[in-house]
Amino acid sequence: MRIRAFPMTMDERYVENIWSLLKNAIQEIQKKNNSGLSFEELYRNAYTMVLHKHGERLYNGLREVVTHHLESKVRQDVLASLNNNFLQILNQAWNDHQTSMVMIRDILMYMDRVYVQQNNVDNVYNLGLIIFRDQVVRYGGIRDHLRHILLEMVVRERKGEVADKLSVRAACQMLMVLGIDSRAVYEEDFERPFLSQSAEFYRSESQRFLGENSASVYIKKVEARINEESERAKHYLDESTEQRIVAVVEEELIQKHMKTIVEMENSGVVHMLKCQKTDDLHCMYKLLGRVADGLRTMASCVSAHLREEGKALVNVDESGANALNFVQSLLDLKDRYDTFLGKSFVNDPIFKKMISSDFEYFLNLNLKSPEYLSLFIDDKLKKGVKGMTEQDIELVLDKTMVLFRFLQEKDIFERYYKQHLAKRLLLNKSVSDDSEKNMISKLKTECGCQFTSKLEGMFKDMSISNMLMEDFKNHIQTSGTSLYGVDLSVRVLTTGFWPTQSSATCTLPLAPRNAFEVFRRFYLAKHSGRQLTLQPALGSADLSAIFYGPRREESETKEKADGPSSSTPTSASANGPRKHIISVSTYQMCILMLFNTRDRLTYEDIMNETDVPKKDLDRALQSLAMGKPTQRVLVKSPKGKDILPSSIFAVNDSFTSKLHRVKIQTVAAKGESEPERKETRSKVDEDRKHEIEAAIVRIMKARKTMQHNLLVSEVTEQLKSRFLPSPVIIKKRIEGLIEREYLARTPEDRKVYTYVA
Amino acid sequence: MPRNSNNSTKRKMDLGEDVSSLFGKRSKTSSNSTVNRSRTKGTEEAPTVFNQKKCNAWFRQYSTPSSPDTIGPEGVEMFCRDLNVEPENIALLVLSWKMGAKQMGYFTLQEWLLGLTDLQCDSLAKLQAKLNYLHSLLLDSSHFKSIYRYAFDFSRDKDQRSLDIETAKAMLGLLLGRQWSLLNSFFQFLDQSRYRVLNKDQWCNVLEFSRAVDVDLKNYDVDGAWPVMLDEFVEWLKVNRGESNIQ
Repeated sequence: MRIRAFPMTMDERYVENIWSLLKNAIQEIQKKNNSGLSFEELYRNAYTMVLHKHGERLYNGLREVVTHHLESKVRQDVLASLNNNFLQILNQAWNDHQTSMVMIRDILMYMDRVYVQQNNVDNVYNLGLIIFRDQVVRYGGIRDHLRHILLEMVVRERKGEVADKLSVRAACQMLMVLGIDSRAVYEEDFERPFLSQSAEFYRSESQRFLGENSASVYIKKVEARINEESERAKHYLDESTEQRIVAVVEEELIQKHMKTIVEMENSGVVHMLKCQKTDDLHCMYKLLGRVADGLRTMASCVSAHLREEGKALVNVDESGANALNFVQSLLDLKDRYDTFLGKSFVNDPIFKKMISSDFEYFLNLNLKSPEYLSLFIDDKLKKGVKGMTEQDIELVLDKTMVLFRFLQEKDIFERYYKQHLAKRLLLNKSVSDDSEKNMISKLKTECGCQFTSKLEGMFKDMSISNMLMEDFKNHIQTSGTSLYGVDLSVRVLTTGFWPTQSSATCTLPLAPRNAFEVFRRFYLAKHSGRQLTLQPALGSADLSAIFYGPRREESETKEKADGPSSSTPTSASANGPRKHIISVSTYQMCILMLFNTRDRLTYEDIMNETDVPKKDLDRALQSLAMGKPTQRVLVKSPKGKDILPSSIFAVNDSFTSKLHRVKIQTVAAKGESEPERKETRSKVDEDRKHEIEAAIVRIMKARKTMQHNLLVSEVTEQLKSRFLPSPVIIKKRIEGLIEREYLARTPEDRKVYTYVA
Repeated sequence: MPRNSNNSTKRKMDLGEDVSSLFGKRSKTSSNSTVNRSRTKGTEEAPTVFNQKKCNAWFRQYSTPSSPDTIGPEGVEMFCRDLNVEPENIALLVLSWKMGAKQMGYFTLQEWLLGLTDLQCDSLAKLQAKLNYLHSLLLDSSHFKSIYRYAFDFSRDKDQRSLDIETAKAMLGLLLGRQWSLLNSFFQFLDQSRYRVLNKDQWCNVLEFSRAVDVDLKNYDVDGAWPVMLDEFVEWLKVNRGESNIQ
């Protein structure tokens, strides 16, 4: 053997030889006959070619061989299988190709490293991919058929039929790889048509689903489809398709029909709300959350329904209005929607905000809401609340505070609250001081001290009065002064803390009048310079009464014959006079005491002698003469509902009660009467004028000059925790202040005001 | 004067008599002064320098012995007649403004002197000559504004802060009658409204409104800090013109 020197140059023939060798080898590999080849030899030959600058020849040659193989052999095979195991054949071809290319690449590795790098061409493996892609996969008939087959598989699967998932997966992976660092091949050849076909499919699916006419069923079906597509994409297509196909489903099934689903009759949101279907609502919430504006669509439907429900509760007609029911029904409504908020809407802020604004909207539609709210709280703070423990009450009051926050006219509430609190304190009706103070601190947290300082003043007055009475009693004992047979108890109220009463006085009977004078002297001796005014509307009295007539049950016939006569004891009665203690209001005391000297009095007489204001007189007489039989201390003739100036009143001598101490209930206060309400409202309007002006002056004093619009919005901001002044009203107050020279317009710009010191 | 004998003196006497008969009724002082005063009538006057004493004396023609330092409504009336000017003539308002007169229908000596000194008039003739000048002041926008604002305080009842609506309408007619086409509409609006007085702020803003807002109301700025009365006027006008749905 001659050892040849390493050829420094190569002649054409030598190169040709090497190439033939390699070509042959490649072809063998392609035929899967690679077992007889020597890797080392082939590698060395390839190395040699490249080293001697024949890389291009090698490269081109490679290309030719691969192309030829794929074109004439592989492609033909695949084409032949179009209707017969196409995917398997294609996959097989693909796998074979990959395998052989790997081997070919290994052999030609030196070329990859040197020639390919230097000349910036595709490396061996990629070259193989490109050729496979162009000559096989994207060859006309194959390309179309591949797409067709894959899409058909998907269709079948969606119908629930069996499909060759693994082949599909392999094909998709192949397409991905053929993209060489991009998913373009997969996208163009499969994904795009897949998505558009899916869109069409789901378009018709949506009609089918909608045909079921049930929102909850629809939702469940959509969820199922989404899961299905998700799984398919993850496992059998390419993972990256998952997001895209789910988006298609969402678009076709949800986005395009969300209004329909939400508003579906008898199964949509409204139905779910009405029937408390929290779970269904939650499913819908989750579903609609997938698309833009889905939740907003749902929220506006919920809002519209809530507003309707709220309006219905709030627009109770005057006569049927009962403050307690009113508030309780609103509390119940709030509870229901809070449940929805928590369970169905997972405390989503969009929904939370919307519920709050809805409540604010309809609560303020009824102008009596502040009054009713106060009455409700009043009821819970009074003695005798049935069936509620302290915790229950605490809970209810907290919930009531939530409603309170929605009130726009909080100053009106304050006014009523004061009135009701005054009654509770003075008539001793509070359950406990603690629960009262608790309530006040809740209000303080909401509204600040200004709101509650007067209320606290009321409490102070009560305790001071108690001490005062102690002193007074001692004074009476030590000085031996007569109180004219009256057991007197006085509460001194500081004006300004307590709700202003019309200072109507009435003519008190002699004994209490004199007794009070004793107290008055005593008090003024301690506090000269103060003024005391009796407030008969707030007082009460216990009267000792003796009824001389026969008991009620027996006296029916007798009454007609004799006529009411309170002074002569009837000897026919076996019972004898009955003593009772009657608890009445001050006005009622004035009325009843008249009958000590007279048998009969007309309404007019009573009015003239007591001087009680008409409205109160009517109420008092109603309770005394026209209430339940166990309350009827007086009788009125003629009988009937109306109290006329000529009506005659007399003591009901047949009055009977099982109780020794009889409390005369005043006719239930249904809240204020219309004229009272008008009066309250005009007082409130007056107060508001002052508050607005105070705010304007305060702001202007600090800022010195301010533009009109800014001033209006500052004022609104400062007052919004009490009420909502309209810009027109604020403007009027500004004009008033200009007239009184607190403010002036600047000469340069009439829209800017300055503070006049 | 040639010292001719009878002729000239006679002539002088004749002149004096003629004129004095005219003035005889009006003058409240001695006949001596009558002769002097004859010189104040007509345009036969040669322009003389302003003389405060003369002006003072002129004042006394119209004041009464019981209130020598004030000309009252009757005196003002006479003054107007002398001047040949109706009391409603706006020139009088301008003159009052020049004087800084506090109350319509009255001139104090101080005010009289102030105004007439500024105008350099110590006689009717001179003042008559100045009437055009007074009118011309109204053409200047800032003078007009000043006169307009003055008119409010001038015409209101001194123990009221506001101007009653009838007087207000009269003054507005005088001042804005020729230049604001919406004036009549404004009057109609006031008549059907509950307004019985106008306060100073409203008064001043009416002028601003007449200057700033077009007849078609298109450039009326609802947020323009106009007094509520003018907001209401605009609303009413729109409704009246059928442009608004809000009743």
